[in-house]
Amino acid sequence: MAYRERVAWLTVSAMLVTLVPFFALARSGRFDLSELPNGGLMVALAIATVAQVLIIGAGHLLLRLRFRSDASEPPDERDRLIERRSTRWAYYVLIAGVVLVGVAMPFSSGGWQIILAALAAVLIAELVHYGLVIIGYRRTV
Amino acid sequence: MKNTSSGTLQNRIRTLRFLNGEMTQAELGNKIGVTRQTVAAIESGKYSPTLETAFRISDAFDVRLDEVFSWSRH
Repeated sequence: MAYRERVAWLTVSAMLVTLVPFFALARSGRFDLSELPNGGLMVALAIATVAQVLIIGAGHLLLRLRFRSDASEPPDERDRLIERRSTRWAYYVLIAGVVLVGVAMPFSSGGWQIILAALAAVLIAELVHYGLVIIGYRRTV
Repeated sequence: MKNTSSGTLQNRIRTLRFLNGEMTQAELGNKIGVTRQTVAAIESGKYSPTLETAFRISDAFDVRLDEVFSWSRH
């Protein structure tokens, strides 16, 4: 497995195990999403973010120790092609999310609903990006 | 092999590696400036290299480009 595919798996896993529970908690009805600022949600988001950073940091460290030579290799033409294609599609997803959150949602929603939607747009765009990186390495373009 | 509507790109990299002292994919990758995984992808026909890399491969084996790659029409 290519080193960059391992990194993509690590990042996707870290996002799923930290941010999905956060979204589930935020949408569970335990928090008033119209309240700003909402201390409980801010703490939950901070915990999810710190956990994500720690998992990704520790994962990078382990991958670098385990695959030292692969980690030091600069990206080649295939790596760059996969990165370019996945970034392009993630950009489209992010733009769609920005339009939805920034243009449409202010007419119908407010407070944490907009914040959560913005975070969801970023999360989905990142999942699309790393998901396509994984698919790219699996299918090798 | 990468399939298109009109043909298939084929290569003899595995044979040429064998004929060059069982050169490893990593050694070939180092010579041409790509990773071992990319050499494996090229060799199995899952990835079509750029023209520059194709020339680098033929140069690494000291053969002509058409001795490494060929186009097979369906």
